[in-house]
Amino acid sequence: MDPGPNPTPDDKGLAALSLRAPAALPPDFAAVPEIEDEEEEEDDDEGYFTAASRGGSSSTAAWKEEMEGLEEEEEEEDGPPSPSSSGYAGERGSSLASSAAGGAGIEEPDHHDVDAPQPHGPGAEDWARDKKHADEDDASASWRKRKKHFFILSNSGKPIYSRYGDEHKLAGFSATLQAIVSFVENSADHIKFVRAGKHQIVFLVKGPIYLVCISCTEESYEGLRGQLELMYGQMLLILTKSVNRCFEKNPKFDMAPLLGGTDAVFLSLIRAFSWNPATFLHAYTCLPLAQATRRAASAVLQDIADSGVLFALLMCEHKVISLVGAQKATLHPDDILLLANFILSSESFRTSESFSPICLPRYNPMAFLYAYVHFFDENTYLTLLTTRPDAFYDLKDSRARIQDVLLKANVLLEVQRSLHENALRVEDVPVELSSQSTSLPAQSSQGNSQSLSSEMAIGGPAGLWHFIYKSIYLDQYVSSEFASPIRNPKQQKRLYKAYQKFYASMHDKASGPHRTQFRRDEDYVLFCWITQDFELYAAFNPLADKTQAIKICNRVCQWIRDLENEIFVYGESTLAWQYHHCWGDI
Amino acid sequence: MAANAGNKIRNAKVVLLGDVGAGKSSLVLRFVKGQFVEFQESTIGAAFFSQTLAVSDETVKFEIWDTAGQERYHSLAPMYYRGAAAAIVVYDISNQASFIRAKKWVQELQAQGNPNTVVALAGNKADLLETRQVQIEEAKTYAQENGLFFMETSAKTATNVNDIFYEIAKRLLQGQPAQNPQAGMVLSQRPNERVVSSASCCS
Repeated sequence: MDPGPNPTPDDKGLAALSLRAPAALPPDFAAVPEIEDEEEEEDDDEGYFTAASRGGSSSTAAWKEEMEGLEEEEEEEDGPPSPSSSGYAGERGSSLASSAAGGAGIEEPDHHDVDAPQPHGPGAEDWARDKKHADEDDASASWRKRKKHFFILSNSGKPIYSRYGDEHKLAGFSATLQAIVSFVENSADHIKFVRAGKHQIVFLVKGPIYLVCISCTEESYEGLRGQLELMYGQMLLILTKSVNRCFEKNPKFDMAPLLGGTDAVFLSLIRAFSWNPATFLHAYTCLPLAQATRRAASAVLQDIADSGVLFALLMCEHKVISLVGAQKATLHPDDILLLANFILSSESFRTSESFSPICLPRYNPMAFLYAYVHFFDENTYLTLLTTRPDAFYDLKDSRARIQDVLLKANVLLEVQRSLHENALRVEDVPVELSSQSTSLPAQSSQGNSQSLSSEMAIGGPAGLWHFIYKSIYLDQYVSSEFASPIRNPKQQKRLYKAYQKFYASMHDKASGPHRTQFRRDEDYVLFCWITQDFELYAAFNPLADKTQAIKICNRVCQWIRDLENEIFVYGESTLAWQYHHCWGDI
Repeated sequence: MAANAGNKIRNAKVVLLGDVGAGKSSLVLRFVKGQFVEFQESTIGAAFFSQTLAVSDETVKFEIWDTAGQERYHSLAPMYYRGAAAAIVVYDISNQASFIRAKKWVQELQAQGNPNTVVALAGNKADLLETRQVQIEEAKTYAQENGLFFMETSAKTATNVNDIFYEIAKRLLQGQPAQNPQAGMVLSQRPNERVVSSASCCS
């Protein structure tokens, strides 16, 4: 089954959605030409304007008072503007979104967007550097030219978060977005997305909170919607869903101050959308470690979990070293992603031990847990989650015990070594099946000489450049290092975008799910293979031979199975996942 | 600052309260690590530090809770100030709103805190003389009326940072009777964490 690499369904389904009148939406939005190169650079690579830009304004009623139901001071009303023009847009969008669903995800893969030369790697200090451009608003030409906006607003149209520009100055714009949503809802319908020229406007309604992405990055509707879901999850992680109660008491509640100081968190999540496969695979990845090393870490974490900690996670940057949960408690991969993003993007956690309330939206969106966070070194950190607000000193003791064991078992040293050495490289994919369970570099290209031009020899066998393997039962994935043809971050980001589209088309509810897909364009050959046990995404040289590529994919899978004890975490909690593998939708 | 062998060590829990951006974390980092960064990131939840300070023949081991100034964490504050031996309420002398916020914290401490808690008022960023909005006299008067002790501090230049902690230590060792460690205290339920302190005076 091949949903097809052809670009036409897209035209059929979506062309009708296009808003020809530029006035139909945010004025001039579609009419503004894009800034090409430098724009996308800015997309990800910007200076710091982070926490401070939203911090100062929070002298309104305290969170506590909100939660306890004290009266909120009266707010000025933001009268929603006339919905006449934007209402038109909404109506079209909603009526056509369903018919377009089949086409979404197999949009033609032309890439004229230019990507950021920013290293994607988990260098936390870089992430916080995104500029918010707080001086901009919707009247600024530069603001309108940005390729990907994210907004969070309330159902009364009050801005809560904007990726670019100062939320306060975007009140009018937020009101417009709110009007679009409510216009469609007034006709007992729900808006999914609107297409306006090159722009796609994706809406996600979560009770009193609306999330909107406006993008001209040619990502699929499903992909963008998934990103909005994660933005919402990140917000819940900080505030819990009980923030909804504030809106029940006061529909005009101004929520923005409650997110004070978290710009860096959202910006780093938005950056992750373009480099971290966990954002669309809904799986986490582990740091490769010798089985004995990981076992030592898991054993001590398990001890702690047995003594009243709900979850204990030892991570290195975004990679899990070990995680355990108390009986029957399981941690969703999205929660791991959001938690790691929160911790890594908040510099405050690195300066000392911290104790902070956080919510795991997939575990329980209504309740706070308390997180004890401690960094053992620059990138390795322990998170202990508990329901007890008074547990700090106990957790501090637990941490000391864990640290002792980790030091004695050399775990922290091994982690540092693994970080630099243990990556999976496509060059190491064994070419001969007989060489199973070795991880020696595959120099035996003679074996496949017919498909290996000199150009092909760059990268892995048969022109393999990169792969991602996701174990469905474990909710874990591994991805290879990037081969030299995609060494630069711009190319990597583009590949991830291609994977995301591929993922969306493989999981398309209307036409899929599909088992395999093979697609060739000018940039790569992409191959995807989904079975009951795993999903494999692989990128090859665009000239790669199909038969050879498929053969190599089989070997990659075999290789992964040979290495599985080192690259995946198998714990009691993961066993629980195998038997209770029943994650619902958000 | 290291404790001498014969010293009595007294543990003292100190909490820092104040508006976003007043400089709570900067004060603590200056005191604990001797560091200062111009753009200190927002604190998440609360950060824990410890530092010892020798006062005459006694040593005070501060357990410092640097709380986040963000509104959403306000409801957690009682967890930290209840049972605290001392609280430092911090404002930014170049920001009138932060002074108003500081007064609210003082009120809350007076209403809900432990009456034995030593409360210090710190007018931070004292190096920003050109943009001063809170006059030193105003703050001094307010502090006197409310039984606080007051200092202007600068985490950037280190002015009065050690002094404010030293002053707290002195006051704890002087006037304060031994704290009742269980009085409404949430965070220090670990029994062995509290060293029973003698009420002896010094200097």
